[in-house]
Amino acid sequence: MRRSTLRTAVAVVTAGLTLTACGSDDGGSSGGGGSDTDTATATSVEDFGGMDALVEAAQAEGTLNVIALPPDWANYGEMLETFSEKYDIEINSATPDGSSQDELNAVESQRGQDRAPDVLDLGTNFARQAKAEGLTAPYQVATWDEIPEDQKDPEGNWVNDYGGYISIGCNATVIAECPTSFADLLDPQYAGQVALNGDPTQAAAAFSGVWAASLANGGDLDDIGPGIDFFVQIKDAGNFNPVEITPATIQSGETPIAIDWDYLNASFTETFAEEGVEWEVHVPSDGLFGGYYSQAISKFAPHPAAARLWQEFLYSDEGQNIWLAGGARPVRLPAMEEAGTADTEALAGLPEVTGTAEFPTAEQETVAQQVMGERWNAEMSG
Amino acid sequence: MTALIEGVAGAGSITPETPVRRGRRGAGAWRYAVLAVLGLYFIVPIAASVWFTVRERDGVSLETYAEIPGADGFAEAITRSLAIAGLTVVIALVLMVPTVVLVNLRLPRLRTTVELLTLMPLVLPPIALVVGVRSVLAWAPDYFFGTPLAEAFFALQEPSLPWILVFVYVILALPFVYRALDAGVRGADLRTLTEAARNLGASWPRVLVSVVLPVLKTSVLNAAFLTLALVMGEYTIAVILGFETFPTWIVRISGSQPQLSVAVSVLSLVITWVLLLLISALDRRRGTKESS
Amino acid sequence: MLVVLGALPFFLYVAIFLLLPIGVLAVESFRATDPTTFEETWSTASVAAITEGPYRRAYVGSLQLSAITAVLGAVFGLALAVAVLGARRGRLMRRLVLTASAVLANFGGIPLAFAFLATIGNAGVVTALLTDTLGLGLGGFSLFSMAGLALVYLYFLVPLMVLTIVPALEALRPQWREASDNLGATGWQYWRYVGGPVLAPPVIGATMLLFASAFAAYATADALVGSSVPLVTLQIANSLSGDVVVGSENRGKALALGMVVLVGLVMIFYAWVQRRTQRWLA
Repeated sequence: MRRSTLRTAVAVVTAGLTLTACGSDDGGSSGGGGSDTDTATATSVEDFGGMDALVEAAQAEGTLNVIALPPDWANYGEMLETFSEKYDIEINSATPDGSSQDELNAVESQRGQDRAPDVLDLGTNFARQAKAEGLTAPYQVATWDEIPEDQKDPEGNWVNDYGGYISIGCNATVIAECPTSFADLLDPQYAGQVALNGDPTQAAAAFSGVWAASLANGGDLDDIGPGIDFFVQIKDAGNFNPVEITPATIQSGETPIAIDWDYLNASFTETFAEEGVEWEVHVPSDGLFGGYYSQAISKFAPHPAAARLWQEFLYSDEGQNIWLAGGARPVRLPAMEEAGTADTEALAGLPEVTGTAEFPTAEQETVAQQVMGERWNAEMSG
Repeated sequence: MTALIEGVAGAGSITPETPVRRGRRGAGAWRYAVLAVLGLYFIVPIAASVWFTVRERDGVSLETYAEIPGADGFAEAITRSLAIAGLTVVIALVLMVPTVVLVNLRLPRLRTTVELLTLMPLVLPPIALVVGVRSVLAWAPDYFFGTPLAEAFFALQEPSLPWILVFVYVILALPFVYRALDAGVRGADLRTLTEAARNLGASWPRVLVSVVLPVLKTSVLNAAFLTLALVMGEYTIAVILGFETFPTWIVRISGSQPQLSVAVSVLSLVITWVLLLLISALDRRRGTKESS
Repeated sequence: MLVVLGALPFFLYVAIFLLLPIGVLAVESFRATDPTTFEETWSTASVAAITEGPYRRAYVGSLQLSAITAVLGAVFGLALAVAVLGARRGRLMRRLVLTASAVLANFGGIPLAFAFLATIGNAGVVTALLTDTLGLGLGGFSLFSMAGLALVYLYFLVPLMVLTIVPALEALRPQWREASDNLGATGWQYWRYVGGPVLAPPVIGATMLLFASAFAAYATADALVGSSVPLVTLQIANSLSGDVVVGSENRGKALALGMVVLVGLVMIFYAWVQRRTQRWLA
């Protein structure tokens, strides 16, 4: 304890002396030993002089700070491990259960600290907000051209990384008949069992769940209202369970039916099989809603080279296939399928999808969010 | 306002100060009914939790408890929380012992202000306080980035030992520490003792060490214990400021390793309870020995 | 003069770590973020917003829940304290209950929520007992409602009451009861003229404490009901973090300020009631 007090005091004094001696400097280069101001503004691999130079610069930094990446979310556990081993870079994973807002808060409040996040994985609207607030650094990965135009920011401030469809997961060991569509959920046999992954005014997964329900009940990408009406119906039927889905709640039997992203539900299948629980995942036949998350590099990243190397890794065939193995659909999938570089086994393991989904635009999302914010609490609470 | 203060005053003590009242005839049935109903209410959820931790697919096993010491992040989280708790206790005592002594002996006019200030953390919602603290911490990167003050702010938020948590927890602990110390000082008639000591020629530091502290030993112990319980159970502020302490670790693994999480909670409850019982027992013995 | 200096550290500390954050909260509640340009300006929009719609509902919900659980907790806590103190083998029972109270008063959040889920949740032992063995259901009782939350809140409120009221109960000397009996007073008269007036202020004070504690509770409600029950603390936490709605942090600060003001008002009301009670009982 004394040592840490001393250390703190020494740090403060040394920092003070160093800073007053050198004069105030650009914020991006403080913290993180050996980082170059040029690294922080590099916008592609060429700026480093090739992939090897990037790897070298990243290894010189030696660390990568990530945030809000649960290991069982779209196979991030394997992604982090593979990257760390391949490039011999230590990864600090902060607040794995954090939300997109938590990530942006961290970038702002931890600016200048060594523990500030380097890279962000955000809900799309938050990626746009991050760019508007000047928190992102533009970067175009080597495989930039294979990413569809509507899945990325023109300068590279954010890029969609992986996505999936809303699905209905079901504990087949406990439930006699698993629901395969939203309409099924109103059946009285599911009393108190239908749960979302969080609060729709908070979590993108839950928000998308309600939107999918809307599509199944006469709504469309411009109108999320019918979805909220539907969930009010579920609540009135006594089928709604407000507890947030986690492996714990499913295992304990508290939430046998989970409306969540298909890759999240799919990740449970294997874990539960070990426990002797049969977990089924169905993408609902009546409401097909897809959504992507977006990657961004923090403008104030303490380890800019490592951050860019991470991006390169994620969008390489290897990285994209790791996500595919986690049941998510990586953004380069169409290109990879054409080139034959997609992992066919993992591809076959994806839940079946009937029909094609459209993805909402930024304006549609903002409108839907406002409707949700006004109506959900009012109609679902009490 | 004083009644609330009086009411909380004794909250620092867990040992009987007056002889226990004997029961009255005929009230026995009612008493047992109350104890039975409330006892059931408190025991059943804990029992259900324990049952959840030992229940395996094919029988009962204590495996979950054996996993605790080696669990990922457990050692780190609990040592960090204990360190924070220890620092909180020390700072709270260093801050409050002189203040309580001064208020009681020399500055009685300050008493109301001090009591009001120490009452505030008790009724102030922690979530409101933490929102304010966060806003203040945000000044560093926003307004004086690059200055030594900003560096100091950053040092406060060092994740391995976040001093900002210590400082905020001291505020949360103030009501209990103040009440416990104040009750001890008033109960021991410190004014007479210190006057006597001063008359015999002791200097103020000597008085503090040889007269005040021994008299306050019990109160200090009570205050320390309540602070420890508070810090080890505090979740809201730690989670919103983004630090990993024992309670936030329990929550973090509750999603993926539910049995382990519940086992740790139940175990920490039981251990805290046993510790408190021990302290209470020791205290009682010391009390009876010293009384003449 | 030197003596006043001795009290300075305390005041300085409280100023920095208590008064400053609250002050900042008050000031920043009057800022708002434009949802499209993300710029911050001075405005009363946040403060105005919190008096309407879902936020007003949240305040009402929180106040209702806190009031109900405070009163229930006070009643049960008082009953438990009296029962414990009067028991024959008093010392051991007293020590057990008091130490357990000190521990349980700090028990909350996810562990508590999970304990109740394990008891009367979908897969709870009591639920299973009631449905499978006894054939009854839970009778429409849901853990995820105001009532359910109240049941869970009592778990830490009753111990808090016990902790707070036991010293006051012990101050009630048995000699007074004996003297009262000797003078020929009935039980009712004892309580009306002796016991009641002595106990009333601490009991009211303790109830206030329970109210503040229930009002401020966050982790337990979050773990159990999410947004299903309108509570201010949940709204505040939601405004600080989320994946969906952008730029709501200022509203969160306004909500927090609202909480501080409300609690302040209740404290003033309590002080007024207390003064009246003393006058009335004197």
